[in-house]
Amino acid sequence: MNLSIQGIGVLGGFGCGTDALVSALSSGQCKPQSVSVKTSQGPREMAAFCADTSRLEEFVNKKNLRRIDHFSKMAILGSCLALQDAGKLGEDLSRMATIIATGYGATRTTYAFLDSFIVDGDSCSSPTYFANSVHNAAVAHVSTLLNITGPGLTVSQFEMSVASALLTARCWLEDGRVDSVLFGAVDEYCDVLGYCWHRYFRDRATTEHDMDPFNFDVQSAIPGEGASFFVLTRDDGGGSRYGSIKDVCLGMMDHFTEPPGRDSVFFIGADGHKEYGDHYQRFLSGHPRAACYTPLYGSLPIGPAFDIAVAALSIKSGKIFPVPTGKNEGLGLDTARESPGPICCVKMSSRGELGAVTVEA
Amino acid sequence: MNQRAVAITGMGCISAPGDNLPECIGSLFKGERNFGSPVRFASDNAITYPVFEVADDLASLETRNTPDISRTGRLFLKVAFEAIGDAGLDREFLRSKRVGVCMGTTVGCVMNDRDFYRAYLKGQDPDMADITRFLRSNPAEVVARELDLTGPCQTIANACSSSTDAISVGALWIRSGICDIVLAGGADELSHVAWNGFAALMITDSSPCKPFDRDRKGLNLGEGAAMMVLESEGVRRTRGKGARAFILGSGASCDAYHLTAPHPDGRGLRRALKEAIASSGVETKEIAFVNAHGTGTQDNDRVESGVLNDMLPGVPFLSTKGYTGHTLGAAGAIEAAFTVACLEMGRIPKSAGFTNPDLRLPASPAESEMEIRGSAAVSESLAFGGHNGVLVFGASGGLL
Amino acid sequence: MTVKEKLKKIIIEELKLEEITPEDIEDDAPLFGEGLGLDSLDAVEIVVLLEKYFGVEVKSLDEGKAAFQSINTLAAYIEERQAQ
Repeated sequence: MNLSIQGIGVLGGFGCGTDALVSALSSGQCKPQSVSVKTSQGPREMAAFCADTSRLEEFVNKKNLRRIDHFSKMAILGSCLALQDAGKLGEDLSRMATIIATGYGATRTTYAFLDSFIVDGDSCSSPTYFANSVHNAAVAHVSTLLNITGPGLTVSQFEMSVASALLTARCWLEDGRVDSVLFGAVDEYCDVLGYCWHRYFRDRATTEHDMDPFNFDVQSAIPGEGASFFVLTRDDGGGSRYGSIKDVCLGMMDHFTEPPGRDSVFFIGADGHKEYGDHYQRFLSGHPRAACYTPLYGSLPIGPAFDIAVAALSIKSGKIFPVPTGKNEGLGLDTARESPGPICCVKMSSRGELGAVTVEA
Repeated sequence: MNQRAVAITGMGCISAPGDNLPECIGSLFKGERNFGSPVRFASDNAITYPVFEVADDLASLETRNTPDISRTGRLFLKVAFEAIGDAGLDREFLRSKRVGVCMGTTVGCVMNDRDFYRAYLKGQDPDMADITRFLRSNPAEVVARELDLTGPCQTIANACSSSTDAISVGALWIRSGICDIVLAGGADELSHVAWNGFAALMITDSSPCKPFDRDRKGLNLGEGAAMMVLESEGVRRTRGKGARAFILGSGASCDAYHLTAPHPDGRGLRRALKEAIASSGVETKEIAFVNAHGTGTQDNDRVESGVLNDMLPGVPFLSTKGYTGHTLGAAGAIEAAFTVACLEMGRIPKSAGFTNPDLRLPASPAESEMEIRGSAAVSESLAFGGHNGVLVFGASGGLL
Repeated sequence: MTVKEKLKKIIIEELKLEEITPEDIEDDAPLFGEGLGLDSLDAVEIVVLLEKYFGVEVKSLDEGKAAFQSINTLAAYIEERQAQ
């Protein structure tokens, strides 16, 4: 069964909303910010794509946001934008499910909770931080603020989070359990994550370089954060300006008897991590026509959710956007001449799993 | 039997009552409550809250492909091996099928290593081993990697209903034809971080928990894991394997009410229970008993007692958290395994910790071990964040 | 700073009541429900704040119930406990 994409809500290093994403796609540029990382040798500067949630006040009374952290704010803003785009904001959402995919959850609040008792002792553990650090806090806030009373689901499967959660979203729609799904993905940058990048990637965690994801032998990843949300319904043949999700594949790459999306253009989720380079190269050896947009939103486990948004926006605008690698080209693909047929968004895990989501008009 | 029923062909469980499912069930019917002070961490909190820990450190668990993983990861593997053995499956057979892995957890997917973080705060450049171990320990992936499985993996972090939902999703993956077999379950190790969190929410009892009792003061944390082998009828019939029971239906909902408190009238629970029963095709008179969430907190037990009294009047119910503590992400799976085992035996143990009825509650749990009548049973979970998950199981009735 | 002034400042800062000033909080106005609009999660957070800033331990919410009505009752509770 196909999933019709009725609305999109995105925010990330490129800004907030689909217009901001389209503008970054058209220019092929998105400049990361500089964040300070605490190291034993003192602070170090590193590039990161950070998201701003100030537009949330357009949708939610500030009073209702007082206890809500950055992670959940990104989720709520993504949700509001997607529902608004689908014309469903304020409608009866009792037959809608809320599904959120996240690689690492609300890490800032997780560490804020540790701070509360590391500094002042176990008896000063903050219940509010604890409550907001639980992985499904974002689903709880989204469902409460928007009165979405269907089932909720939070999936945390690192790089496979998006494909895995989508698999269940499709099952729920197919099963008739719900009529629509608010499907989203969120990950956030935090100081500890910055420290981890500094330790794992050393001189490749700086402000000195751009992301170069097709250069598979070089570590060029820049951390990103943000949210990408969709309103999905059963495709009743009525069509949608954004197209439909035709297929969701998930499993070990070598065990697909029929590789996903044979005739597709591939949006590759390679995000500048050398460790994954071999997997992508192996995949691309059989699927040569590929584009990559990770330099516009950065490296984060839920990156494929942005690629799905780019695919939907490509279908809506009837073109494949230029690839922001600095050379304005994909692999075996002349974006200027290509019109969007099936687009398959592909992400690999370190174990060699493949998550593939195909979007088509 | 409805067409949507999904067979359970094997189960595994580890929790404070025992190191495997038969041991756990034996302990429940003896009425044992294995609680104590936490042994794997020390708190500077003046109040000591009892916990239900698993004694085994699982150091001797033999694994092939998963060195240096978290304790939660090892709990997952322990019950995976038991469940596969119980189902009469081996690694080679599993590799030849489309096997999915669907796991619920809370602690198992949170990056919060205290020692690492403390050293980081002090600017001591902590070693990355703890973070690397976290990155190696994603629950569903650990199980898939250890057993060389090639199908989809899904780790569900729905707080206290995580593994109820994991079993429900796993059944759906079978029904929709995505997988031939799904390993579905949940695990959580006892964590100092969660222990502090529940103490801070002031819903932890400083004495052994008393679900549905007049004098209940909150929950006790526990740890453990449980897993079910869910199998398509095609595969099961081909290999001639009988089912232990069937998953007949499931329901889930969001209260959309509050981050930490359940809706006072149990709005979401009513909906989830109604959906679960409707999708199962059973009539309420066929329901032998309900394994309630029954944490022992004021709010949870009041809401659950009210909803059960309205929707399943007269149907016996119990909480098994008096035996296991609240095992968070593992609770749904452990209670599902107990539910199936009790359905097989035709008996339920007494609801541990319950002595004095609460006159403000319309219904009370099983005061003593009892025989049950009926071919179906319900297990329900109410989670933090207002999430509700309900499963309906049906006895196999000796059917192949 | 009096206990009441300190309490108001801490409650505003720690419970992130950004649009409220200490002057907006009346000493005898209810903190929960209709008053300041605090809820059960704020109540347990206040328990931690009392321990952290005043060294006052609240063992159970039942014990704190009467004390948590208003700034007046909270301040009286703190002063009484600190004097013990």
